[in-house]
Amino acid sequence: MGLLDGVFDPPFRKRRNGRYTVNLSEGERQLIEDLALDLRELLTTDSPMLQRLFPPPYGENEERNQGYSALAGSELVERKFAALDVVTGTISAEDLSEEEVEAWMRSINDIRLVLGTVLGVSEDQGFEPSDEATQALHDNYEYLGMLLERIIRALSN
Amino acid sequence: MSTTAPLEVMEPDTGTDSETDAPWVVLVWNDPINLMSYVTFVLQKLFSYSKAEADKLMMQVHTEGKAAVSHGTRSEAESDVFRLHEHGLWATMQQD
Repeated sequence: MGLLDGVFDPPFRKRRNGRYTVNLSEGERQLIEDLALDLRELLTTDSPMLQRLFPPPYGENEERNQGYSALAGSELVERKFAALDVVTGTISAEDLSEEEVEAWMRSINDIRLVLGTVLGVSEDQGFEPSDEATQALHDNYEYLGMLLERIIRALSN
Repeated sequence: MSTTAPLEVMEPDTGTDSETDAPWVVLVWNDPINLMSYVTFVLQKLFSYSKAEADKLMMQVHTEGKAAVSHGTRSEAESDVFRLHEHGLWATMQQD
């Protein structure tokens, strides 16, 4: 990576007409698509890896949590599916609407939450990969964090 | 912003708990994964906070572990919690 990479050609750039130019490599798009499809599949399960995506709204009050979950839980999953569908449906696009960029943002954040959960990311410890697979997960986690920062920067313009 | 208006009709509970009309507060909790810039951005987007206000709340979440981001009736609070969860923030609600 050169020092000025991304300065003139950021991955997401807002244009004057309010739409966004996406500048990502084939490899980056492939990775994002793979991760989005992985999350889509994971969302059909009740994996503990999903715990950060569905926090209990009433804290310790199990009865109310279940009441809320019965009403809103499936709607929340549907929203997450819908955002992932936008990502996979526009994975090759070089031009996105603001709404589509926000769907990318939410999906990338959701994927990061799952990766962070699997990696056991915590506030006060550095990361020491135990093996290559974990290192790869961590690389993806870091990459998505960088991408998210760039999306937020573009949306804030 | 918040009122002590009677609760809306929508009641997720089937229980018969005697609700007071004290306002509910929506809390966002610190978590080690979400980016600080993301939390600020989402608070601005969902609650129309200024950048400065959203930054202040985000820093409160970061340093104190949690911050109150909205108040309202139970159904308003549930709606805010839902939107925060849609954006991946760790949000809960409780009655003041």
